[in-house]
Amino acid sequence: MTAPTLPARYRVAERRGETHDTVTLALQPVDQPIPAHQPGQFTMMYAPGIGEVPISISGTGPGAGLVQTVRAVGAVTRALCAAGQGQMIGLRGPYGTHWEVDRAAGGDLLIVAGGIGLAPLREALLAALGNGARYRRIVVLIGARSPAELVFGQELGGWRRGGAEVEVTVDQAMEGWAGHVGVVTQLLGYADIDPARTTALICGPEVMMRLTARELRALGVPAARIRVSLERNMRCGVAECGHCQLGPLLLCRDGPVISYDVAAPLLAIREL
Amino acid sequence: MTAPGTPHGEPVSVAGAAELGGHAFLRGMPDAYVAVLARACRGTAARAGHRFFEEGGTADRFWLIVSGHVALDVSAPGRSRLIVETLGKGDLLGLSWLVPPYEWQFGAIAVQDTMAFELNAPAVRAACEGDPGLGYELLRRVMPAASSRLHAARIRMLDLYAAAGQAGDGP
Repeated sequence: MTAPTLPARYRVAERRGETHDTVTLALQPVDQPIPAHQPGQFTMMYAPGIGEVPISISGTGPGAGLVQTVRAVGAVTRALCAAGQGQMIGLRGPYGTHWEVDRAAGGDLLIVAGGIGLAPLREALLAALGNGARYRRIVVLIGARSPAELVFGQELGGWRRGGAEVEVTVDQAMEGWAGHVGVVTQLLGYADIDPARTTALICGPEVMMRLTARELRALGVPAARIRVSLERNMRCGVAECGHCQLGPLLLCRDGPVISYDVAAPLLAIREL
Repeated sequence: MTAPGTPHGEPVSVAGAAELGGHAFLRGMPDAYVAVLARACRGTAARAGHRFFEEGGTADRFWLIVSGHVALDVSAPGRSRLIVETLGKGDLLGLSWLVPPYEWQFGAIAVQDTMAFELNAPAVRAACEGDPGLGYELLRRVMPAASSRLHAARIRMLDLYAAAGQAGDGP
């Protein structure tokens, strides 16, 4: 097992472009892999000589391999997105809390994703589809900026065939788009949710998560059965540096996934 | 209600009035008011591609969508039609019928085969003028729909899914 603050070497085994600024990297360990993870956890990804960023894990395999989806928004993420097959990168982790997708077993699992927020949810969905009989329904609602900026677009058909009800809405669409146009919360109205049996996992921009959680609360879904994935400035990953503090929480340790009854009062404080 | 492909069905019957009252938009409305609306209503079905209305046209009808999927759109010179928003099961299609000068602000086209209750707008407006109770019950339902769409439009203006800040700002 690697030390928690030292990166393990991984090689890019495959690179798949998702959108104009987002790629999915399949990574294979060169030496000892990082410990096993749970869906929703993240790693600190290291672009040698440039820096580290926290990135959620979006899948596994083959073997001890990991799948991570990165959006180019700065120097480190641009370097990671540009990493070609065979290139070496570093990984620390896995860190943080996870979706606890098993909690939805016996009821309805509702996944609501906005933009690249689908990446941390992908593995939770795959885990649920792998145990589909344990869930009454698996509903996936996805919001994207435009059809061209939808991540994992080529996987949606497989998710549907696997038993998930998948709906996509976009903010901007041209003639010919046969899906929904609007905000992802509007899809909740069409999903026929049974609030008493629903466990919701939400990831996306914080405003989107707040609005979605509020809509779900208005429909009657208990706050404790709504889980959100929060982001702050995670640096060390081991709850030492304090950069990711949100009130009493250090999100690299106590998050990123927390239940909405814990998150709601913190998200209401403007300066946190 | 008729199958898709028949542009207009029969006026809503007594049995259909119960179905009309069960529509999500009208749920909870007193039966007497639903009966008034039913007299101005008929079932309609449209194939994908059917245009319900065009921007600038007279807003003399509105629809309560039962199934299917409708896009509100607008044309722009030199560009294909832009989709403003989509509506589906349980939604109200058409707001301009309630706002003078009663002209459609956008177009509407069926994206999928769509079934709906179609209501005659002048008849409904006249019924509301004659009975403010009906008008209030209707506005109690129109206002949340309009508010929800305004809210959604504001959220979309925030462009939440854009990269946070300019490239180079983030890690």
